Amino acid sequence: MALVYLIKIFRLQILDSQYEQKAINNALNKIPIYPDRSIIYDRNGKLLVHNIAIYDLVVFPAKAKGIDSVAFCEIMRITGDEYHKYMTLARENSKKRQKNNVFNGSAVFMSNLTKDQYSAIQENLYRFPGFSVEPKTDRLYAVKGGAHILGYMGEVSKKLLSKDPYYRPGDLVGITGIENTYESYIRGVKGVKTVWQDRTYTERGEAKDNEFNSPAQSGPDFFSSIDFELQEFGESLLDNKRGSVVAIEPSTGEILALINKPDYDPNLLVGEARSKSFKQLLIDPKKPLYNRAIKGVYPPGSTFKTVMALIACQEGVLKPSTLHGCSGGYHLGKLTVGCHPHGSPTDLKHSIGISCNAYYCQVFRDIIDNPKYANVKAGYASLEKHLHSFGLGNKLGVDLPGENKGNVPSLKQLDKRHGKNWKSSMIISLAIGQGEILLTPMQMANCAAIIANKGWFITPHLVKGIGTSRYLPEDFKKKHYTTVSELYYDWIIDGMELVPKPGGTATGTGFEDIVICSKTGTAQNPHGQDHSLYIAFAPRDKPKIAIAVIVENGGYGATWAAPIANLMIEKYLNKGKESQRPEMLNRIRTSTVN
Amino acid sequence: MSRIYAGKDDNPVLDTISVWLYIVLVLIGLISIYSATSEVNQNFQFSFSSVAGRQLIWIGGAVIIILTIAFANVAIIDYFAYGFYGFAILLNIAVLFLGKEVSGAKSWFGFGGFGIQPSEFAKVATALAIAKYLGTYGIRFKGTRNVLITLSLFLFPMLLILAQNDTGSALVFLSFFLVLYREGLPGWILLSALWLMIIAIARIVMEATGISHLWTMGILVFISTFIIYFGRKNKQLIIATLIVSAASAVFSIAVGFAYTKILKGYQRDRIELVLNLKQDTRNMGYNLEQSRIAIGAGQVIGRGFLKGTQTKMGFVPEQHTDFIFCTIGEEWGFVGVLVFFCLYFGLLFRLLSLAERQSTAFGRVLGYSVVCILFFHLSINIGMTIGIVPVIGIPLPFVSFGGSSLWAFTLLLFLFLKVDEKRR
Repeated sequence: MALVYLIKIFRLQILDSQYEQKAINNALNKIPIYPDRSIIYDRNGKLLVHNIAIYDLVVFPAKAKGIDSVAFCEIMRITGDEYHKYMTLARENSKKRQKNNVFNGSAVFMSNLTKDQYSAIQENLYRFPGFSVEPKTDRLYAVKGGAHILGYMGEVSKKLLSKDPYYRPGDLVGITGIENTYESYIRGVKGVKTVWQDRTYTERGEAKDNEFNSPAQSGPDFFSSIDFELQEFGESLLDNKRGSVVAIEPSTGEILALINKPDYDPNLLVGEARSKSFKQLLIDPKKPLYNRAIKGVYPPGSTFKTVMALIACQEGVLKPSTLHGCSGGYHLGKLTVGCHPHGSPTDLKHSIGISCNAYYCQVFRDIIDNPKYANVKAGYASLEKHLHSFGLGNKLGVDLPGENKGNVPSLKQLDKRHGKNWKSSMIISLAIGQGEILLTPMQMANCAAIIANKGWFITPHLVKGIGTSRYLPEDFKKKHYTTVSELYYDWIIDGMELVPKPGGTATGTGFEDIVICSKTGTAQNPHGQDHSLYIAFAPRDKPKIAIAVIVENGGYGATWAAPIANLMIEKYLNKGKESQRPEMLNRIRTSTVN
Repeated sequence: MSRIYAGKDDNPVLDTISVWLYIVLVLIGLISIYSATSEVNQNFQFSFSSVAGRQLIWIGGAVIIILTIAFANVAIIDYFAYGFYGFAILLNIAVLFLGKEVSGAKSWFGFGGFGIQPSEFAKVATALAIAKYLGTYGIRFKGTRNVLITLSLFLFPMLLILAQNDTGSALVFLSFFLVLYREGLPGWILLSALWLMIIAIARIVMEATGISHLWTMGILVFISTFIIYFGRKNKQLIIATLIVSAASAVFSIAVGFAYTKILKGYQRDRIELVLNLKQDTRNMGYNLEQSRIAIGAGQVIGRGFLKGTQTKMGFVPEQHTDFIFCTIGEEWGFVGVLVFFCLYFGLLFRLLSLAERQSTAFGRVLGYSVVCILFFHLSINIGMTIGIVPVIGIPLPFVSFGGSSLWAFTLLLFLFLKVDEKRR
């Protein structure tokens, strides 16, 4: 008998090792301690986002048996059906947690209690064994703008729950914006308070063993690259219009402002009102949640001429002295690309200053019909390669989720569209940034930054540094060089300098004390009026800001986009000074464009 | 010789080895009870109102019992054996009417905060009475009358305790069969008991799993035919085989009836769990699983004194009474279990050798009774904690919390040691 027993006990204690863990799982309850999320500042240390405490109602389903659910529902102001639904869900989650060996934790019954619910249940908690209130944090916005930069929070999805065991149902995670991209930093590290609990789930004291406990670590301070003063100013300019502004510091790739209109007040998506407001924003026909700056794609129009000119110079088919005539447009057989009246012929500099279409049709043909290439397709392939090196047709790798890569038509795409035997004349509209070519405002701004840097860019990003060490991901330190040599940029910049000056296409929008290099654009749009476009950087020497502005259906680039961009440049470079063009500022601010 | 003589008077004293083993076991019990009922982050604290404190009071009582026995005249034991038996029977009848019900069994007398369980003392009284009867000059365990009287001496209290609905304690009386085997109970009776057990288990398995019980009958018929065919020249064998087969069949039917109609649902559950016919970790099986987890968690050297969360957190039921062995297993591991087994079996073997050396039938029968009762308790109690036998609520002698059981076992052990002292 003794031998049989000893063998059995030997098997239990020594051969089978599962029991120790089971005993630990039985008696320990790991209670998460929620850390504060990172506080987010702008590049000048201005507070943008901080935290506020919120509360979850948590339940141990096994212990909550036999509570007075009618009284409970009355206190929580929920229906019996809801109670049932929540409880069933909590039971499932609780079981799942036990199965996953994550200590038999509680499950969230209701998350984000309202103030009324919180105070009502706090007073009555003793009546409902098994229920407890756990504090968490929610976001509090110090500002009204910047919604698309900061992003919003939401309850963790089932998909993420199954992927990352860090989360519990009801946890808040960043869904978009910085909150999403830098979630793993911003969320901090949940702490664990481990308590012993007996069979009835009653707490029996804290587990002193350090192996089981850890403090919560707040997310590190997050410094964004945004200049919030500039951001707010830009938002005020773009008010009552549809469009987007992206401003970049060329030397670092830091995004100074990222504006979309229509937008929303980030404070709408906080606390109790979150889900209700979110549903409203989602069905709003004005699409306030839509981040045009990285998701919207537009034909770049005449702003594209700068890039075309650069490539032509690199290909050796364009020099500052190259002259092309213009007789109200570009004519080739039946084909006509219209142009506005201006002096003819023009050289490179003035072709940019007055934005001659005919000039660029010729330049475009010179590039792809270049006799050094076997045929037009080989010529185009070379152009395509150059365009890709400007970050076009690919995702830039901006630190925001959902970036669009725009479109640089591939040979395949052109074959499909124009048949196998297309000629340069059939795709001539690409010369002036029309046709299949599509860019995001971010890509346009990046082109301005490339020209400002004379040949290279750093992937635009919203992070300036994380934590006390100001950590910056390696990706945002690397210079990407274009295939166009540094030598040629000044030729184009000479032309861009003319644009806001008398005789240029954006005349009357510049300032005496700032050398702005820019290019207007008016993009044809099959859905309605032309989009008003403008890219610029300033000052010419040691540029501090590169910018792209698009005002949807705004007509000429000079009408809306140019004044907005130039006012923002002035604002940024002449910090704290009154604008030299108050009448222009006033006109922009008070106008509505639909 | 480990017999100690007190000084020059040459007065014999109680067997030292047994007494020391007893003391160690009681202390192990006290420590385990303290641990099983302590709080998690608790510093040492003690009060007489705590469970361990109350056990200490019971131990004090046990010391008084021991001293009383040690200084009493051994003749009194012999003289009052029947009187004690009668008194115990009366108490066990009275408890049926006056007792209070504790977890389904009506086997307790309540006195304020304390309770007394007369069934515990019935074991002692029965052991004494049987020893006395079989020790009477001229009476041996032979002849219908003697056998019937002997059997009724322990079957009667057993029935009374069954009536109290305390199945566990009642089953303990079966251990007297082992005693009687030593006193000449023919081996075939024990063999038949074994045979009946096999049939009973087979029947239960079939009832529980829904296999037709015609199989039992079929196998019986097959075996009988086989024996009869090869022993066809031996008339007696044929008759015996037929009788055994018929009796087995009747027994099987009776077991089937008892199992489905008399046993209660929870009792069936317990049996089926042990026979591995049921997987259930929530209700009945939960207790068993928790008990196994507790012991399993001990591993080689245990989780350490006061560190057994399975027991003190109430996952293991009755952690300081019937399931006290879990605390030993969880906190002291396999090493602790080995030491505990050595001590316990050391005591049993010591008592066995003392019993064998008795010069009187009274002493011998009493000795065997002590050994058999302790052995039965030990096997059932530990067997249930590790899931080898059904959960039958009987205490681990000397170790489990409880005044009645500690006093009764102390009485049982020391009465025998006192008788043994006189042997020389």
